[in-house]
Amino acid sequence: MNELALKELLYKMADDLLILGHRNSEWTGMGPILEEDIAFSSMAQDKIGQSHALFQLLHQLGEQAPDTVAFTRNAEQFHNCVLVELPNQEYDFSLIRHFLFDTADALRWEMLSRSSYEPLAQLARKIHGELRYHTLHANTWVKQLGSATEDSIGRLQRSLDEAIPFALGMFEESPYESDLVTDKVFEGEAMLKSLWMAQVEKVISATRLHLPDWKLINPVRGGRMGKHSPHLQPMLDEMSEVFRMDPTAEW
Amino acid sequence: MKSLDPRVNRLPVPGTPGTIVPKVPLDQFGSFEVFVQAKEGKPFQHEGIVHAPNLELAFVLAKEAFTRRFTCHSLYVTETRDVFVSPTTEAEQNAYDLIEEATSPAAKEPYEIYHLPRRGKQHIHAGTVTAGSPEEAMWLAKQSLNTKAVFNVWAVRSAAIRRTTPEEAILWQTLPDKKFRDASDYKGGDKLKEFLERRNA
Amino acid sequence: MYGGGNTFEGIKTDSVAQEDPQKLAEFEARIARGEKIEPTDWMPQLYRKQLIRMIEQHAHSEIIGALPEGTWITRAPGFKRKMSLMAKVQDEVGHAQLLYSAAETLGKSREQMIDDLITGKSKYSNIFNYPTFTWADCCFISWLVDAGAIVNQLANAKGSYGPYCRALDRICAEESFHLKYGHHCVIYLAAGTAKQRSMFQEALNRWWPPMMHFFGPSDKISVHTEVLMRWKVKMGTNDDMRNQFLDMYVPKILELGFTIPDPKLKKNPDTGRWDYTEPDWEEFKRVINGDGPCNKERLEVRRIAEERGRWVREALKSPKAAYVTPLA
Repeated sequence: MNELALKELLYKMADDLLILGHRNSEWTGMGPILEEDIAFSSMAQDKIGQSHALFQLLHQLGEQAPDTVAFTRNAEQFHNCVLVELPNQEYDFSLIRHFLFDTADALRWEMLSRSSYEPLAQLARKIHGELRYHTLHANTWVKQLGSATEDSIGRLQRSLDEAIPFALGMFEESPYESDLVTDKVFEGEAMLKSLWMAQVEKVISATRLHLPDWKLINPVRGGRMGKHSPHLQPMLDEMSEVFRMDPTAEW
Repeated sequence: MKSLDPRVNRLPVPGTPGTIVPKVPLDQFGSFEVFVQAKEGKPFQHEGIVHAPNLELAFVLAKEAFTRRFTCHSLYVTETRDVFVSPTTEAEQNAYDLIEEATSPAAKEPYEIYHLPRRGKQHIHAGTVTAGSPEEAMWLAKQSLNTKAVFNVWAVRSAAIRRTTPEEAILWQTLPDKKFRDASDYKGGDKLKEFLERRNA
Repeated sequence: MYGGGNTFEGIKTDSVAQEDPQKLAEFEARIARGEKIEPTDWMPQLYRKQLIRMIEQHAHSEIIGALPEGTWITRAPGFKRKMSLMAKVQDEVGHAQLLYSAAETLGKSREQMIDDLITGKSKYSNIFNYPTFTWADCCFISWLVDAGAIVNQLANAKGSYGPYCRALDRICAEESFHLKYGHHCVIYLAAGTAKQRSMFQEALNRWWPPMMHFFGPSDKISVHTEVLMRWKVKMGTNDDMRNQFLDMYVPKILELGFTIPDPKLKKNPDTGRWDYTEPDWEEFKRVINGDGPCNKERLEVRRIAEERGRWVREALKSPKAAYVTPLA
């Protein structure tokens, strides 16, 4: 098994989950209705927890401790896709991003439940229920708000149009893609992307929203290689403000 | 607005700060009653309410509002308007004593029956009866489920309940692992002891 | 009847003179027997009014209380603290949800309550009008403000109104996590570097006066308060609560080597109660009436949150799921 390839996979997943979990946590206490505030916060907590579990796997593979890795790297050392680092904007954008990301995330983990890297397969099976809730939540909201009023449909459509190029950037291939597939660690971004497109189409077709022609979209790539939007570094500075006061201190 | 909270500094400010437009009265969602089965085999218990636009979202929202700790085996929700309520009694009086005979020519269907075992406690699922109306369901429950004095009885048409589907049973799979939400995960004793020893040395 | 009966009408009364004496006697007998009052029971207008006011204020305190700690939600140091703080702030929102529901059973809708919060018509706990300058301020709240809240809530959980008791039972169970989490954070600051220790000491210096205000001024025992105590709406005097808090937490603060900024603070061996410098009640009143360091921001943030969420509520509002009063 190519360990570099495996680590690259774990890093990008862990970073995606950390950054989106962080972004989504910004809504805690400010959500659109109390019940949704609670639900959205829980899913952000799930993401941070899943990210932590992945950083622990990396730690077992010789990488530094989760806190060190998460709180001391700079933006160019992060492998998350650009989609997750974008500011929250209004709830429509946060919700659409949650739908697009979590649909891919659930499918990715489902594929990984068959991974030859057993610790990852185990983790995938363990968090299956969390992901099931995330997609139930995302699909329910998108279906309802995407079919409700002109205002809500318009908001979701604009957010969808804005997010789709970034969402396609989730599937930016790793330099080790073929090794991952050969070693049966992960069946690959191309397969994930086609599963994702089918699932997104299925949910969106039950609404009054429409998807753009996939072929006409220029995916926003680069995140996996450390090329980020200007939003990531300030986010990381904020996230590690206390931690970096004294990285040797225990908090 | 310059705040110590970086999130607040990022808020867009809709409208004019300081001018408050009062809401239309009762501009809000419906009410849904939430019932939870903590462990397999235990009865469902009423846990509270959520406000939601419909039954499906009520289910989605109730899950994190009421089952984000300890264990949960299953959850269901029903609209508050779909709960038929008996009079509430006190002291030694059994609420069933106040339920009068009722029959219904309507097609029979299952009703879930809930008891309030003590004032101040939660309603607990007592059983299911098959009836043509909620009144008849209460009357039938009086015959079959009236084993011990209770202070209030609820009857809900089974068809009006959004239950956890068999595929959704995994929703609570990792709940016991979410120790960070439990007091038991914050043991500072050793750190404290070490600190006190260092300080007293 | 089907659920969703009584709707709220403004209650003007401040006395029990107009109540039906027989119903009032039955009501009082029920409370004297130790039985809880349930929403469909007859109750004096004054009881309903006081409970709505109290539970509503409690709910507001939770939702506004999510903001000072929320200030640090994006900056919590390390995975563990990040998840814990998110869960804790989330719980405060959850408590608001539970408490609004309990108040709703008395006939006032959540929307009306939130409107009254935003327009400044109803109050919330004064302590949340103070700023959290550092991570240590956030830890002070998690540990000690929550500790104070628990003293109040445990007392109120023995009150007479069923739905409020049910909500408080849930809340108190969750608060035990807050308290342990907060204490854990403070132990780590105490046992940490000089910088960490001084961060907490400074936070303690800032927060001690509002903490002493937290329980409210000494009660003037009037006929009114006697009635509310008999009805188990008010469960103890403010001074009792404050004294209980000091009993439990002063030793724990001192154990960690911190100093409490009140030279007069000392347990009086004769009375068994704590002596302390009389809190500045003029400041307390000033802050309650809107002139604290953060009052405007707290309400403005809540208002913005409501405004930003309006489109979601507007979009999914449906006559098929119209609002009704919750059952229990």
